[in-house]
Formats: sequence, C-alpha cells, structure tokens
Amino acid sequence: MAIIPVPRPSKKSMNPDRPVNCLLRAQVEHLQHAERRLPLRYRSSIYTHAIRTEGEAAEYVREVTEAIHRAHADAAERRVKRPRRAKGRSKPRAESRKGGRGK
Amino acid sequence: MSAGLQNLKHIVVLMMENRSFDHMLGSLKAVDPRIDGITDDMDNPDNAGAAVKPQLLAEFQGQLDPDPNHHFPAVDVQIFNGDTSASRQPNMKGFVKSYYDQRRDTGHSQKIMYCFKQSDLPVLTTLALEFAVFNRWFSSIPGPTICNRAFAHYGTSFGRVDMNPFDISEPFKSIYTRLIEATPKRTAKVYYYDTTSSTMEVVNLLQNQPELFGTYKQFLSDCDNGLLPDYSFVEPNYKDHETDEGEEVASDQHPDHDVQAGEFLIAEVYMHIKRNPTMWPSTALLVLHDEHGGIFDHVSPPNCPPDRFAAPPNSTGTGLEFKFDRLGVRVPAVLVSPWIPKNTIVDRVFDHASIPATVTRFFQLGDLPRSPRELNADVFIEPNVAPVDAQRNLLSLDVMRTDCPEFGV
Repeated sequence: MAIIPVPRPSKKSMNPDRPVNCLLRAQVEHLQHAERRLPLRYRSSIYTHAIRTEGEAAEYVREVTEAIHRAHADAAERRVKRPRRAKGRSKPRAESRKGGRGK
Repeated sequence: MSAGLQNLKHIVVLMMENRSFDHMLGSLKAVDPRIDGITDDMDNPDNAGAAVKPQLLAEFQGQLDPDPNHHFPAVDVQIFNGDTSASRQPNMKGFVKSYYDQRRDTGHSQKIMYCFKQSDLPVLTTLALEFAVFNRWFSSIPGPTICNRAFAHYGTSFGRVDMNPFDISEPFKSIYTRLIEATPKRTAKVYYYDTTSSTMEVVNLLQNQPELFGTYKQFLSDCDNGLLPDYSFVEPNYKDHETDEGEEVASDQHPDHDVQAGEFLIAEVYMHIKRNPTMWPSTALLVLHDEHGGIFDHVSPPNCPPDRFAAPPNSTGTGLEFKFDRLGVRVPAVLVSPWIPKNTIVDRVFDHASIPATVTRFFQLGDLPRSPRELNADVFIEPNVAPVDAQRNLLSLDVMRTDCPEFGV
C-alpha cells in the first residue's frame, strides 16, 4: 500500500500569545489547587490571575507539574534514607525500662 | 477462540479535544452510506430563521474563534434548541443559535455547521475506513472536558458537569489504580505530552500518583522498544509552547488549535505501534475525542440509566437537576487493530465509561465496585474468555491483516 502523506501544520499556526481558552484556564486552576498542598519551597512565584496567554499558562503549568514530581521524588528519597527501625528492637527497650524500674 | 483477542496484550487510548463526529467524519457518508454522517436534509435555523445546512467548508484553524461554548447550559441549547419544557425532545437544532449568542454575528454563527472534507483529514478518515468506526460513540455528559474525561478515567464524574476540581469518592477507583492493584499485578500509564502540556487529571491522579505519568516521548520509546504497559492513556499537547528543542504546536485539535497538528499526532501514534512487529499484533488503539466542543452533530444523544450521583440545578446552570441519565453529543471514535476487518461499522452505543468498562473486563480485574454508568456501558473489546460472542467481537479475523495503511510521518 502506498504511504499516505501527512502534512505538518503550518509554521504560522504556532501562537503562544493566543488567549487561554477555558480548558487551559481550568488546568491552571487545578494546578493551583494542587500547588496549595505543596510545601512552600516547591511553590511557583507566578501570579495565576495575571495569566492571559497560552505561553504564560505553559510556564506556570510546567513549573507546578515539575514541582509535584519533585516533591514526590524528594519524599521518596527521604523515605529510603530514613533509618528503618530493626525488627524486634522495641521489645528489648521495654524490657530494659522494666529492668530499670525494678532496680 | 479469537486469534485477535488471544494476541491482544495492550490497549492504547488517544483522547483528543472538542470536535464532533459530523465535523470530522460526517463527509464519509458519501463514501460509505453505512457511516452515519451528514446529508443534505439536515439543518439548523439561524437567528434570521434561515435554514443553515452542514457544508464541507471547515478550516484547520482560524474559523472557530471564539471557542464555541460547550458548557452544560450551552449544550442543552444545542441539543434542545432552547426548549425547557417537561416534554421536550432532543432535536439537535440549537447549534447555530448557541454560537450566535457568543458573537451576535449571523454569518459567523453558521460556521458551527461546517465539516471537514475527507481529503482534509487523511489520517482520521483513513483509519475510520480501514478499521472500525463507531456510529454511536457519545461523550459521557452534555458538557465540557474535565467531567467527560473523568468518565474515561473513573467511569463517572462523581456528580460533576463542569470544569471545577473534583474529589474522587470511594468506592470507585481509577482504571489505573484498579490495574496496578490487581492480582496478578497489571501495568498502566498516562502519557502526557510533556510537563508543559501536562495532564487534565491534575487533582487526583497527578497530585497523588505522579508515578503513573510518562511523557509522549517516553510513549514513543515504549512503543519502539516493546515496553508499553497493559493500558496506556495518551494525552495530546494542549498548548503552543517553546521547548529547548524548538516550538511545539498544540496537537489536541481544541478550537482554535491547528487540526493538522492533531492529524500528525494520530499518525505518529499509529505508526510507532505499527512499525514494531511485536506491538502491532498485540495492541488495540482507540482514537476518540472527549466531547463535541459545541460543534454541530445531527444524532440526538440517547437516554441512559442514571448514575449514582446527581448534579443540582445550581451546578447545571439550566435550572434543572441532571441525573446523568442522558449521554452527551456524539464524537469521532475509531478502533485500530490488524485483527479488525477492513471497513467495519459499529452501530452499538458507547460512551467514555466504556473505556474503564472494557479495560476492567478484558484484563479480568474482578468484581470491583463500579459506577452504575460504567456497569451499563458497553465494551468495545470482548473479554478473552470462552465463549467469545462472534457478533460482538470486533477483532474477529483469524489471520492478521497485511494490507493496513502506512502514513508518512
């Protein structure tokens, strides 16, 4: 079968200055909702109410999406680094306290 | 047993944005009368009372500005033409009226009836004619994106008909959680285009389970290397943006984004699956749009059994409660697999709840709690369990096709 050509979009179609549509506005709001739950150090400094264009929305969406991933990755790293309590360790401690009281 | 179902290991869903069936595929009625597209006896009245017919005049970009209203109250007008009486029936006559309300320009409002010529959309129309096209795939809600996409992820929108963030309520879990918690464990991934495009399911999936996500680049690489998960959900690029590698044009086909960029994306997804000789026989690809985006379609959405949730009048904006007992406007949907006979037309009714319903049943995830809407949704791939219903099985060929199309991407 012959290969069907697929035209690439025109270079003129790119327009990061296009006003945000209601979908992108909603996406920004959803990310802002998620951002409020992030620790302060992960938050963006972009003022979302001032976002007017796709390019501006793009910047905010990228920052917060990456921050969410980073926050989870950092938490996972801390989980791995945190020394795990050895199994059965709590029991001898209790025994030792008991022993101390008895003396 | 069906050879297609026996070979099937991966289901991929590519969900585009905001175009109706008639707008994208309506022209195919002239090619194959079994495809329920446009005819000359369809019309919508404009504000002067003139009958406006669908015409093959759609353009890739610049025509649907402002973005046609597709929020719940506007879609209600589009379906019922403003009738709010108790005895109203859907007539699909209010699209021009609804678009006129946005700009008060009679000539411009008629563009909502424009449809693409077959030659404008070589990718989607070829796939529709070569594989299985659905005559009755409806969006799940007569409303906007977020709640419609929720049906694809959860089988319900948890009572939402709008774009606001929603919380999932137990016991209904996303299809991804169902898969990764299954025994034996299954694999699932949501591939967003890149972190700048991100996902439309932020509040529950990205926020709580970011490990579910990958990028489009990773999707292409997973196709090439035979590493696709059992289930993949692919999101297009939602916005024009710059990257270190250059300009990225939005490929979601949401008005007023360039429709050709979406065509290229669909072709690229298809070709990356097709070029890998291990993935092609073992993968089914569903390409569909999330909702109609306010654009004309002539088929009235049918009633359906209600969901467990209801949207109150102040949420719907129509003054009426919505019990999720009617589907949304029809959207383009095409199922691709080399095991599907060429030029298959499917007349059964589907909506996006059919996606988790199909994945749950095909991968035999067990008797999980699912929404009433999902439990009532039809499946587009039969479970690979004897006896397979030959009348319903779309992957019905005994021998894999070798005549499938190739796109130059």
